[in-house]
Amino acid sequence: MSLLDVNDLNVGFQTRLGTVRAVNNVSFEIDKGEVFGLIGESGSGKSVIGMSLLHLLPRNARVRGRAIFEGSDLLALGEEKMQKFRGEKIAFIPQNPTASLNPLMKNGLQASEIFEQKGYSRQEAWDRALGVMQSLLIREPEVSAKRYPHQLSGGMKQRLVAGISLSLEPELVIADEPTKGLDSISRKRAIEFFQQLEGKERRSMLLITHDLDLAYEICDRLAVLYAGEIVEMGPARKLMDSPEHPYTRGLIKSLPKNGLEPLEGSSPSLLGLPDGCFFRERCNCQTIDCRKWHPQLSPNNGWMKRCVLP
Amino acid sequence: MMGYLLKRLAFMGVTVLAVCALTFFLMNIIPGGTAELILKHTVLELEEIPTDEQIAEISSRYNLHDPLYIQFGNWLAGALQGDLGSSYIQKKPVSYLLLLRLPATIQLAFAAMSIAVLIGVPLGIFCAIRENKFTDYILRIVTLMGVSMPGFWLALILILFFSVNLKLFPVAGYGELRYLVLPAVALSAHSLALTLRMVRTGMLEVMSQPYIAFAISKGLSPRHVIARHALKNALLPAITVLALSLGHMLGGAVVIESIFAWPGVGSLLVDAISGRDIPLVQGCVLTIVGVFVTINLLVDLTYTYLDPRIRYG
Amino acid sequence: MKCISISKSNPAIQGRIKWTPCHRIMANRTVAVCLVLLAAMVIIAILAPWIAPYEPNDINLKESLQSPSKEHWLGTDHLGRDIFSRLLYGATTSFAIAISVVAFALIWGIALGGIAGYFGGLSDDIISRVIDLFLSFPSMIFALAIVGALGSSVLNLIMALALVHWASYARLMRGQVLSAKSNDYVSSARVIGASDRRILVKHILPNALAPVIVLATLDMGHVILSAAALSFLGLGIPPSVPEWGSMLNAGKEFMRTAPYLTLFPGMAITLTVILFSLLGDGFQEILDPESEVSGLVAA
Repeated sequence: MSLLDVNDLNVGFQTRLGTVRAVNNVSFEIDKGEVFGLIGESGSGKSVIGMSLLHLLPRNARVRGRAIFEGSDLLALGEEKMQKFRGEKIAFIPQNPTASLNPLMKNGLQASEIFEQKGYSRQEAWDRALGVMQSLLIREPEVSAKRYPHQLSGGMKQRLVAGISLSLEPELVIADEPTKGLDSISRKRAIEFFQQLEGKERRSMLLITHDLDLAYEICDRLAVLYAGEIVEMGPARKLMDSPEHPYTRGLIKSLPKNGLEPLEGSSPSLLGLPDGCFFRERCNCQTIDCRKWHPQLSPNNGWMKRCVLP
Repeated sequence: MMGYLLKRLAFMGVTVLAVCALTFFLMNIIPGGTAELILKHTVLELEEIPTDEQIAEISSRYNLHDPLYIQFGNWLAGALQGDLGSSYIQKKPVSYLLLLRLPATIQLAFAAMSIAVLIGVPLGIFCAIRENKFTDYILRIVTLMGVSMPGFWLALILILFFSVNLKLFPVAGYGELRYLVLPAVALSAHSLALTLRMVRTGMLEVMSQPYIAFAISKGLSPRHVIARHALKNALLPAITVLALSLGHMLGGAVVIESIFAWPGVGSLLVDAISGRDIPLVQGCVLTIVGVFVTINLLVDLTYTYLDPRIRYG
Repeated sequence: MKCISISKSNPAIQGRIKWTPCHRIMANRTVAVCLVLLAAMVIIAILAPWIAPYEPNDINLKESLQSPSKEHWLGTDHLGRDIFSRLLYGATTSFAIAISVVAFALIWGIALGGIAGYFGGLSDDIISRVIDLFLSFPSMIFALAIVGALGSSVLNLIMALALVHWASYARLMRGQVLSAKSNDYVSSARVIGASDRRILVKHILPNALAPVIVLATLDMGHVILSAAALSFLGLGIPPSVPEWGSMLNAGKEFMRTAPYLTLFPGMAITLTVILFSLLGDGFQEILDPESEVSGLVAA
């Protein structure tokens, strides 16, 4: 039984230079208790997908498609109904913990307001917030709660942000680049944190990342994004051990532990996507057909691939 | 905090001192000119030319042959004791004249600033939230006009319309509230436009920050997000803009006071300059600059207090 | 999976359009329109002595206070002088003053700000204090004091306004130089052995100048307003020189009977300042654009 069923999601941004097609015909499902990963380079549209589900995109975004969650289409919800889903049913752990905390607001307040919104009194909400901070192993929660974000260390901020998102025990967590910009020790800690989340509490998660190691460790299934489309999707470990799509292959090969062979070229501009296959200009296996038509995802036993060649 | 405060106070003092010194030197740059002026204002008839003896007598009486810095030093010593000399034209102590006129200027500036803030801030917030093409367009035109129209022209138009044609407000003068309306409105236009723009830009910028998106993702209502998260962050930098526009406003007050015959320090300054009444000019400059620098300091301190990054940095 | 290798084709197409400055200027309609209008005004101002139908100071009391008519397009003032001609000559005055003031302020500001930013140390300390001093009191008062002290002449007015305005340029320039200085390409230039002067001119200056240009454009409008205010008060410009501000001053007595005396000069000032403001804003958009694709979150 799928918890989240995304169908033909398309997101375009209207700018003065034209429409930027950030997400193109993306469809995937997330089952209850599953960790689903979206991996790809910067600019591949991963974060946009996550944010579109909660209506967090800026005003010039045009979203089409359906995202069925507990019977409702998230993308068609009005603002009031959406508010009820946010925080309580679906939570969002943002990319940059420092930028995601209001510098002029006390830490405790930022943690407690999520409880206040759901009806708790100010004192109760504050106590619960302290409880959350305690469980995150933030030192001296009472003191830290009265302080401001700039007085916390980077690691603490990250745990705080994640903890706040999870306060109401949502059913689905969207984690946007949780290890971005972290040094290797912090990364390890973050990986452990998420393993704990996934292991102990069996929380369903949409993990958006370009950290392939993280994806390998904790994802059940993976989708690889390129130029706003899914080019390959399947079981995480198997896909990363033996990728089939040329782009995924290139991605895996570019990892340091695999030889650090970079992919040549760069991703196409989302303002003017090329004809045929989006990846053909960088592909080693280019054929004449690759220009002629745009390949669809061909399902094959729980594994999908978007390529002209079989 | 204390050290910062002391440094700012010291700088304030230096600024005021420097301005007074500059004014003093400029006004006395023409040698012998001061003596002639004094004579012209006191003893001489309209077309009389001062004799050399008269000049010599005045010069020694007022120590006008001393080097300029000594003369300035004397003035300064007197100023610190509250004695700013006597006006050539009005024959009264300068400090007396200033004290008489200062409340009127403060009244006017306060009224104009209130208009700018009480209308500019809510309107700016409103325009930022309801970001649509039409309000943006109107806004652009209004702020553009406010910033580009000369304040004195606006004053004249207001007078023409409201005083002369509609007879709603008096043309000039001082007294009850109705005398304050037109001058305050004319003076507030520039600051209003600036404030509106700043608040709108500030709000828009804040609304696009990641912490706003995070707050929304927590399930908080838009009203809560705006009130608790966006406002404070957007308005804080706007405070510094207010201080900046105050300087412009004090300058504009000089002109507005002249038009509306508003008995403030500004119109006093203009009269003093026209009449080359040096002690009065000095006094007025000292006062206006003093007020400006003080308010700036207060604004800075407020900002420092309100921003926790500085306070608990 | 079989794979047929084809020779490495063309390098990936850069989807971005190359925007040269000219391209950008023309693409922004507001800027283009403003530039054209302002250029027209400048040309008219320069050609005023030839275009104006009458001498600006031709006093002709018999024809005083006439409404706009065929002979006098915009009417006459209380001394019988043709308003249209005075308006044209006033344009000359205003633009001449504005350009001179901004030019002086630019030169001093860029020089002192650049020195302070680039060389740092004692020179920076001193110059920064001086800049702060000049910036920390109301400009109008300062200008009034100077003009009042030195007397009314166009040159004094220019000097006074230049003294008031240079500090903003200096501060801006200093900030730009400081941030450019810490850029890597400057360090690399130094490592290669480029001289200070070369670094300044070739590397730092071009980038630092953009916001200065924006400031200069906006400042032109401010200077015109200040000059008009000063002449409105009867200070700054000798009465014989036609200027929009003094025209307003002269006309204010006759507002009920002859409102056009104040209408046209006021409109002229407002229009000119509006054009400079729009132009400055437009320049800012072009030279220092916030991301055009502002909606694109780092995916």
